[in-house]
Amino acid sequence: MTLWFIRGLRRGVVTTRYPARPDASAASLPTPPAFRPQGLTRQIADRLAAICPSGALRRDGSVLVYDVGRCTACGRCAAQAPDAVIRSGEFELATTDRSALIKNIPVREEAR
Amino acid sequence: MTPEDLRETIARQFGRSLHVRTLDTGSCAVCEQEIRLLAAPHYDLNRLGFFFTPAPRHADLLLVTGPMIRAFAVAARKSYDAMPGPKIVVATGACALGGVYPEDPFTHGAVDAVLPVDVWIPGCPPSPLALLHGLGVAVGRLADKVRDLPFTEANDPERSRGAS
Repeated sequence: MTLWFIRGLRRGVVTTRYPARPDASAASLPTPPAFRPQGLTRQIADRLAAICPSGALRRDGSVLVYDVGRCTACGRCAAQAPDAVIRSGEFELATTDRSALIKNIPVREEAR
Repeated sequence: MTPEDLRETIARQFGRSLHVRTLDTGSCAVCEQEIRLLAAPHYDLNRLGFFFTPAPRHADLLLVTGPMIRAFAVAARKSYDAMPGPKIVVATGACALGGVYPEDPFTHGAVDAVLPVDVWIPGCPPSPLALLHGLGVAVGRLADKVRDLPFTEANDPERSRGAS
């Protein structure tokens, strides 16, 4: 505290950078899911879109449209299809462009 | 005024200090809990030059939570109009971004319907770290890198094909 005060007086800067150091709790935060296109078939994509409680998932042809902004990170999709959905670990998602939060995830064709 | 101009103006006019007014438009109050934690010693919002203010007339940034219920839209608009310019509106949490509640007779469903939003912070609720990052993005101190996040598995062979 004293050091910080003296340094602040000397440099005229009393704020710190963000983050001053990595946060210990960051690893255990609930984070939105990430998808594995390898395990994501049309059938699974439709099922995930149907169970998503906040309307963040919707299948549009051969892509799964994922609106990260609407996602509540509830984990229902990960519980439903553990092969296709993993934890992303991303939580610093603030953006100045709403459309940057909408992701198009490729969906595998069923026949292969 | 473009967002870039706004950011430059804020950097010039406010220096390192920015005053935040929080606005609850019908949220479940968990976003508010996380916002309150920002002022606690662990996150210590004030060290970054942000301060909470109880009056919109003193605020530079409006931190809006909740799905914008219709009964609150007039009050939200008045709060926004009472703020001196240049001002920033930050939509906070999945409700404010259009998730959870669809548009219906009781709620607008998203903050965008009533206020001109400049920064969107996803999360249900956004953690204090995410909120701090969002405030940093809002004043242009931190880069906006969300567009580059693919939300597909790392090292996935189909990754380049899918991410737009």
